[in-house]
Amino acid sequence: MSGEARQVAAHEGAHGDDLVVRIGQLTRMLRESMRELGLDKEVEKAAEAIPDARARLNYVASMTEQAADRALNAVDRAQPLQNEIESRAESLDQQWQTWFENPMELDQARQLVTDTRGYLAAVPEMARETSKELLEIMMAQDFQDLTGQVIKKMMEVILEVENQLLQVLLESVPEGDEREALKQRMEDRNAADTRKREEASLVNGPQLTAEGEGIVSNQDQVDDLLDELGF
Amino acid sequence: MDKGMSILVVDDFPTMRRIVRSLLKELGFTNVEEAEDGQEALGKLKGGDFEFVVSDWNMPNLDGLEMLKQIRADEAMKALPVLMVTAEAKKENIVAAAQAGANGYIVKPFTAATLEEKLNKIFEKLGK
Repeated sequence: MSGEARQVAAHEGAHGDDLVVRIGQLTRMLRESMRELGLDKEVEKAAEAIPDARARLNYVASMTEQAADRALNAVDRAQPLQNEIESRAESLDQQWQTWFENPMELDQARQLVTDTRGYLAAVPEMARETSKELLEIMMAQDFQDLTGQVIKKMMEVILEVENQLLQVLLESVPEGDEREALKQRMEDRNAADTRKREEASLVNGPQLTAEGEGIVSNQDQVDDLLDELGF
Repeated sequence: MDKGMSILVVDDFPTMRRIVRSLLKELGFTNVEEAEDGQEALGKLKGGDFEFVVSDWNMPNLDGLEMLKQIRADEAMKALPVLMVTAEAKKENIVAAAQAGANGYIVKPFTAATLEEKLNKIFEKLGK
């Protein structure tokens, strides 16, 4: 490095240090005034909501993926059955067509009759299997209810976070038109949001994880609990 | 068990109402009506001749537990069997539902086999 460059770097270094100190002072000032106004608590609350929102989004992502897999797997199992029903019927129909055009010996006809009866006997079982897969596809749609409940809950959380952040913003802008406009916005929003807060601890929607205090993770546990209680 | 009995399915999510209705149809019950919350359900129950109720818990206006309590408090409806089908999976939920007089409790997500089993159990107990 040339002498001149070193000098510039040193100068910038001193300048940078100065800036860091000033930013530090400003940050401290901001923190102190936020604490005085009680706003750090608001920000804290907003930040605390984020992991919960992430867990909910995770739940939605995995439930929708599972549902898609379930439906696609059922289709994969049903399609070969449908193809078999179709191709065997077509083949038999073709053979009968040929036979009617040119009636063959009884022995050959007998084989065709046997094949046809075999096919007719096999169709109900294949149709039942297909119906089972259709039912599976239908049941896979239950994710809509479960994720819907979780998404509704998340929208409440987002509204809450927005409120807290707006509160912080409101306190940090100086008195004036801008502040009045913000205040108005918050009041309008709160007025529009007339939905009753669901504080009741019995209405929680789906559990995001099966583990946890006081949570049943499957139907067997529900049945056991009811048995224990004598119901 | 009379497969022609009239059943009311109560859930705020149309998808779940369709699923429950289709499952009931699969089990042979075709006389099924729907309501989208407890309030609408109570109106239908008072006006109609329902013999069985399958209900969600978490619903707007009037939730499933409140609806159940009102059914049990009503002289004309108090014996009506009610099966809860809900995502609420806390022990206190199950206890509260049982204490309020639910005849069965299915936690979502559930299977067709579970629904059939619980229906059979309820009618067995009722001696139908």
